[in-house]
Amino acid sequence: MPQLHDSTSRAQGEPNAHEHGFDRIFGLETEYGVSVTGADHAVQAANAAVAMFRPIVEHTRSTNTYLANGSRLYLDVGAHPEYATAEARMPSDALLADAAGERIMRSMALNAQEQLRDAVGSAARIHLFKNNADSAGHSFGCHENYLVRRFVGLTDITDQLLPLLISRQIITGAGRFADGRFSITQRALFVDETVSSATTRSRPMVNTRDEPHANPEEFRRLHVIIGDSNRSQWATRMKLAITHLVLCVIEYHARHQESSALSLMALADPVDANHAVDEHGVQAQLQLASGDHVSALQMQRRYWQACATFLDAHAHAVDASLGQPGAALQILDEWRVVLDELERDDIASLATRVDWAAKLHLFSQLVARRLGCDVDQARALLRQPGALPPALALQLAQLDFDYHDIANGAVFDALVRHGRMIEEVSAQQADEARHTPPAGTRAVLRGRFVQLAAEAHVRHACDWTTLELLEPHKTTVSLLDPFEDQPDAQLSAIFDQLEARIALHETR
Amino acid sequence: MPQEQVNRKASEHTQAVNDEQVRLNVEAEASMDVLDSILDDISTVLETNAQEYVDSFVQKGGQ
Repeated sequence: MPQLHDSTSRAQGEPNAHEHGFDRIFGLETEYGVSVTGADHAVQAANAAVAMFRPIVEHTRSTNTYLANGSRLYLDVGAHPEYATAEARMPSDALLADAAGERIMRSMALNAQEQLRDAVGSAARIHLFKNNADSAGHSFGCHENYLVRRFVGLTDITDQLLPLLISRQIITGAGRFADGRFSITQRALFVDETVSSATTRSRPMVNTRDEPHANPEEFRRLHVIIGDSNRSQWATRMKLAITHLVLCVIEYHARHQESSALSLMALADPVDANHAVDEHGVQAQLQLASGDHVSALQMQRRYWQACATFLDAHAHAVDASLGQPGAALQILDEWRVVLDELERDDIASLATRVDWAAKLHLFSQLVARRLGCDVDQARALLRQPGALPPALALQLAQLDFDYHDIANGAVFDALVRHGRMIEEVSAQQADEARHTPPAGTRAVLRGRFVQLAAEAHVRHACDWTTLELLEPHKTTVSLLDPFEDQPDAQLSAIFDQLEARIALHETR
Repeated sequence: MPQEQVNRKASEHTQAVNDEQVRLNVEAEASMDVLDSILDDISTVLETNAQEYVDSFVQKGGQ
């Protein structure tokens, strides 16, 4: 079993053990949308967002803060509250961290709602949307971060990974009913480029940032922008898990400088393919660089097969990266099951795990009931722009937003309560994770630092790779290795100092 | 095959089809029951002004 931590050998100049395995760091950053309804007079989203962050600003004098669970909370461009999970070793840990973020955001929104009601009436509600589009054509994201070995080049990413990211939307798409029509993605139509290093003027599918927040000689950080914000916890976990398997295959072949079957997946025009998936869903025809066409589902089957073949020889190594025997084959099996359901068009089964299917299932039953047609006819009407009566279309647009409202939404919770949507992390588990960082990464160190410094009333600052005490004099600690969860001598001494300070206060 | 066997097979087949139909009907009814419960749970949403709700969600874009 490969070692997960190897700081000793690194100190002696040997390559980091993590470079040879498939160990990965996962992160999820979510920008939330905000609205206010029911107030005496209109309240801007920005005001509600500022109200949400007021307690944080009062405490830290900043709208950007790191928490005791190692995550980052801040108020982003355009008044989007944003939560970035701490570094996680496994998709299930990242899911738990993301669920904690939802609970934190929800508390902030409901607290701000109480304050707001004093000013604009007791019917006022703050809606906090974990989605990717408002009602006026503005988009915002759920970004995934993956630590990837440096020897994986941009061509590998474009040719071998993009088609996965585009086709996986048949599983990970959150769905959207807007402008009189249902599509399976939230985000696809807002993405205009393939791979880019810019983030503000264009919206690429994948951003290759130079700051890996790790040793740049060993790693790069892959920043995936094309993903939808999922309410389904299964989809959040599987989004990361499936991408991890494919990255293992890509890394293995790049490491050994062998060509990979995945190079054959390269698309003729990824932006077109992405639009096709949005418009036509599971059976969307995607043109390969070779000129052939495959459906989105067939493309997913090919990726599945490439991973299955790879795991025949390397399951143990991938299991080691996930910290559990059998983990890789478990993911493969869940992936196969959902592909089989997609092939059978079994919407009712898909609805328990796939966000777009959950919406489609509910919306088509609702339309069937209202119009007195059967569910299949209702589904056809949903896919046809403008086919529904305007009042009904408007109500579906409202329900589509409500599905993503983590503060005051009713739809998603109703689905969970009635057994129509699987929950993998309970509210209690998510609440515990508000104060507990994911295991096995530098988030452990950052979380402990923030916890102790706050308790000791010592001013401090963080970013992903640095911890800073600001008083009595500025002391800086570097956390360059995201896999390192043990404090070095300098940081241990700082922890001791802070604990001593806390003990001193307590004895007064 | 003797006529008795054919008859038995035919009636077994009919029984199987009937069972399946009953199962589907029960599932459909259960599904409708669940749908009714869900619609009850979201009735406050369905009763609010959809236009106001939708129009109120406008933000400048993020990343």
